[in-house]
Formats: sequence, C-alpha cells, structure tokens
Amino acid sequence: MRKPPPPRRPVSHSAPIRPGHAIPLNSPAFERLRRALAAFETALLVLLLGVMIGVAAFQIIARNLFGGGLLWGSDLVQVAMLWATMVGATVAVGSNRHIRIDVVARFGGQRLQAVAGRIVALFSAVLCAALGWYSIEFVRWDFVDQVPGFASVPAWVCESIIPVAAAVMALRYLLQTIWPPAAERQDEAQPPTPEAPPP
Amino acid sequence: MIWAGAALIVLMALLGAPLFVVVLAAAMLGLMAEGIDLGVIAVDLYALTQKPLLVALPFFTFAGYLMSEANTSQRLMAVTRALVGWMPAGLAVVGLVVCALFTALTGASGVTIVALGGLLLPMLQKSGYGRNFSLGLVTSSGSLGLLVVPSVPLILYGIVAQQMDVGVPFTIQQLFIGGLGPTLLMVLLLSFYAVWRHGDVPRTPFNGRALLAALKQARWELPLPFVVLGGIYSGYFAISEAAALTVLYVLIVETLLYREIPLRALPGVVRQTMVMVGSILLILGVALAFTSYLVDVEVPQRLFAFLQTHVEDKLTFLILLNLLLLALGAILDVFSAIVIMVPLLLPVAVGYGIHPIHFGVIFLANLEIGYFTPPIGLNLFISAYRFNRPMLDLYVACVPFMLVMLLALLLITYVPWLSLWFL
Repeated sequence: MRKPPPPRRPVSHSAPIRPGHAIPLNSPAFERLRRALAAFETALLVLLLGVMIGVAAFQIIARNLFGGGLLWGSDLVQVAMLWATMVGATVAVGSNRHIRIDVVARFGGQRLQAVAGRIVALFSAVLCAALGWYSIEFVRWDFVDQVPGFASVPAWVCESIIPVAAAVMALRYLLQTIWPPAAERQDEAQPPTPEAPPP
Repeated sequence: MIWAGAALIVLMALLGAPLFVVVLAAAMLGLMAEGIDLGVIAVDLYALTQKPLLVALPFFTFAGYLMSEANTSQRLMAVTRALVGWMPAGLAVVGLVVCALFTALTGASGVTIVALGGLLLPMLQKSGYGRNFSLGLVTSSGSLGLLVVPSVPLILYGIVAQQMDVGVPFTIQQLFIGGLGPTLLMVLLLSFYAVWRHGDVPRTPFNGRALLAALKQARWELPLPFVVLGGIYSGYFAISEAAALTVLYVLIVETLLYREIPLRALPGVVRQTMVMVGSILLILGVALAFTSYLVDVEVPQRLFAFLQTHVEDKLTFLILLNLLLLALGAILDVFSAIVIMVPLLLPVAVGYGIHPIHFGVIFLANLEIGYFTPPIGLNLFISAYRFNRPMLDLYVACVPFMLVMLLALLLITYVPWLSLWFL
C-alpha cells in the first residue's frame, strides 16, 4: 500500500558527503525548521483541497436543493486549485519529485550525476527566479488597476501565490545547488521516476 | 543567439532538469526572441483558474490515491473474479479487466502494478500460468485503461486539445465515449492471447454464493462507477461536478464506512496528491505559455507545410505518427508528452483529416505501449523493483504482450470507426 513520502532525510544519513557541506543540514535546529515547514505545507494543502472539495460539493447540493449556490463558488474553487497547485509544486521541489527525463540519472556515473544535479539545480533556480520577477510585474499591474477577482477579493491577491511560490522554488533550488538533496543519489534498485511509490 | 539558448535548454533537459523548468525556459527564450514581455507567462499560469474542467484532476487523483490506500483493489478483484473467473484463462482475463479499471481510477502512475500486481502475480502463478506470462501480463496491464474515464491523462488531453481550437469541435463526453471501444479491443485481444497461451489452465466453476459475498464486501464502492460514468456520460453532471462528488463519496466510504484509512493518514495522502497534481499542472501552465508562443510564430502550420512536401497521404502520416509516439512514450511520461506534443501535432493531424478524438485515442494508445517498451518504459522499472526481478526478465516477459498491443494499435489507428462510431 502507498504511504505518504517520508520527510527528506538529512543528507549525511544516506550518503557520504564531503565534510563542510553537510554541517548546516545536520544541525537539530535546521531539522526542526524543516519539519515545521513541512507541517505548514501539509496543513496549507489540506486546507486548500478541503475548501475545493467542500465548496464544489456544496454548490452541487445547493443547486439541486435550492436552485442556486454561491455566485463566486466555482471561482473560489478554481483559485484554491491554483494555490494548491503552486504549493504542491514547491513541495515537489523540496522532495525532488518533479517530472524529468533522467537519462543521466539512469545511465551516468555517480560523479557525473552529482555534477549534473548541481548544474541543473542552479539553472532551475535562475529560471524560477525569473518567473517570480516577471510575475511580480503581472501582480502589480492588477494591483494598480484594481482588477476585481471574485466576491470582494481583488485579483492581485489571488495571483500573489505565483511570485511567492516561484521565489520559494528558486530558493529551494539554490539550496540544492549548494547542498544536493539525498534523493539525487538513488541506488540502482530504486525506481527511476517520482511517481513510483515506495515498497 | 536563439539557437545557443535552445541548445542550452536541450542540454539541461538531458542532464535532468525538471520538465516545467525546461518548458519555462523554452517559453521565455521564444518570447524574448519575439520581443514580448515575459509577464505573459504569469498571465498564462493564472489562466489555469479559467478552466473549470481542470478541477477534476486533483479530485480524481485524490480519490484514486485514497482507493489505492484502502483495500479497494482486493474487493474489485474478488467481484471480477466471481463474475468472469469461470471463463477459459479466467484469472488472466480478470487481471486484465481489473487492471484496466484500476488504472482508469488511479491514473497510470505505477499504482496499478504496485497495488494490484502484488496480489495478482502470485495468484496467476499458483493457478498454473507461466512465470513469464504472469509477469508480462501484470507489467503490461499497468497502463491499460488510460483511455477510460476518469483517467487523468484522458482528461488532460481533452483540456489541451480543446484549448487548441483546431476547427473540429468535440465535447469531452464524446472523447470519453471514443476511448471505450479501443480499450475494449485491447482487452479482448489480450484475452484471446491469454486463452491461446493458457486456455488449458483448470477453470473455476461459477459460484453464485461467492459472487454474492464479493458483492456484499464491495457494496459501498459498487455505486461509484455509476456515479462517475452515469453522471458524466448522461451529461447530468459537469465533469468537475462528478469529480467533486466522487472524491466526497470515496472519502466517506474509505474513512467512515470501511474505516481502512485512519483520519490521521489523510494529510499525507493530500500532500502526495498535490505534489503529483502540482507538478503536472505547473507543466501545463508553462506549456500554455509556450504553446501560445508556438502558435504566434506559426510553428504547427510550418510543420504541417514541411510534412506535406514529404508525406502525401494520411496513411503514411499515421505510420510516422505511431513511430514517433512509441519512441516518445518510452522516454517521456504521459503528462509531459500530452502538454508538449499535443499542441504541436494535433493541428498537423487535423490537417491530414484526422478527427481530434481519433488523434487523442491514437496518442494515448501509443503512450500505453510506451509504458512497457524496452529498454526504458516506466512500468518495466516499477515491476523490476516491485517483484525484484532483473530487467532482462521483464523485457522477455513483455515482448509478446507488446506485439498484441501493437496489433490493437494498428487496428485503432487504421479503423477510425472504433473511436468515432457514435459521431
């Protein structure tokens, strides 16, 4: 049966790492911070998916029983979906579960993998930072123009998750450039793609 | 400049950059070359909120994860076994049908092999089916059912294809009906193969009492297909509504009625769901930006014009399409393949007179085969891992199934009627 993915292990437990690199990730304070962050992410995702399911179901029931639901119900569900998507995507960066073509991971040697992992993480950090930067512009236009979103929520509030999530992803990739995640070093027996669940 | 950038992006993709980063980079490069403000990427990402159908993806994925967490696979197996287990090669047929249904519910993410394969493989071997046959069946049926509602790849294809607006209108419901015939054909052909290879395996007689017991066990989950399929096919519910009802129903059934998922396990399942859905939808979002760039610079039209000078008829195009997609299916996962390749290929296919529904069916059928195409089909790795077998065993075990599926693919490709009979 599938279990939720375990929290990322400290790097030093799973693979030998050159001293000096692993130290910050090993400290108990850092570990506590990481757990708290993971709990916050999970809580946020539960809240968002809960709102989506709850409101969507309420809309159907209300329409059939009272002949109408919330005017902005489906807007709320769709914005919650965008938020859940962006938060889920940042979590996927943290647990290294984004979809990729991993030719190198499958056929490359250990050393090539390590180098490639860092280069790719840096590249991803730059791209996410760029996405964040240009989406701030987008949010700002809608803020200046006071574009309405749904109900009385302005559009820029709904959109704000895009630069925030992009910034978090950029930061995470930057950290991965400096301290590569343990999951990069998968052994031969491990299935190659993130969707494959643990045994 | 643009070529150097493109080369860098390809290199990064090969080194293992996440696909959303690769597509994002490509979109940014293209937009910069055209002198368009990069802010439009955020606009396209935000446009995800303008597609009501998309909400169905997290809902169905969550429902699928819940069901794979509970003992749904066992109950589904028991019911199907009691229903068709008496036929020649009954258990193999049961395996095919159950795998197809379970894959439709959970998306072809390897869950079928992990959840059902572990159950099915020992059962098959104990009943007298050959080792390689059993292994091949379990591995290759891990992607069967991609074309059946509420399979996430099928819905995603519908979203991307409708977004393209290629001039041949179709509804999502029609797409869903279109997928049924080809899936039935695949299951039938695979069943014939099973009977041919193992028709001599001792049969279990039909047992009414066993059927009743199995039905009783599954009583809470039995209404589900009727809610999903009935609601969608009849057009009574919008797809996103059927998805919302499904997820609510499954949540209640698995946590409160069967009590197989403790409430404290739910946050973990939610997290898992949204990591999966988040990474798919983010790719979709940036791919929308990339697609609008491609359409702006008329890449599909140019591709079509180029192809037309070399490929004259529909038949040759279809052969080339199949070869390309089979290769892609072995390299790319199904979601990336859809968001990246459909915008490029669909307009070309329509140019050759192929109906978008038929194209979608061909596309997904190819990817189904790609899942277990040696040497790097995803299902092969999952099976090797799950059943602890060397990859070479799996190659040998899967080849006969691949040949049967290729035959099905040929029929699906060259007999459009199979996908379009109701139009």
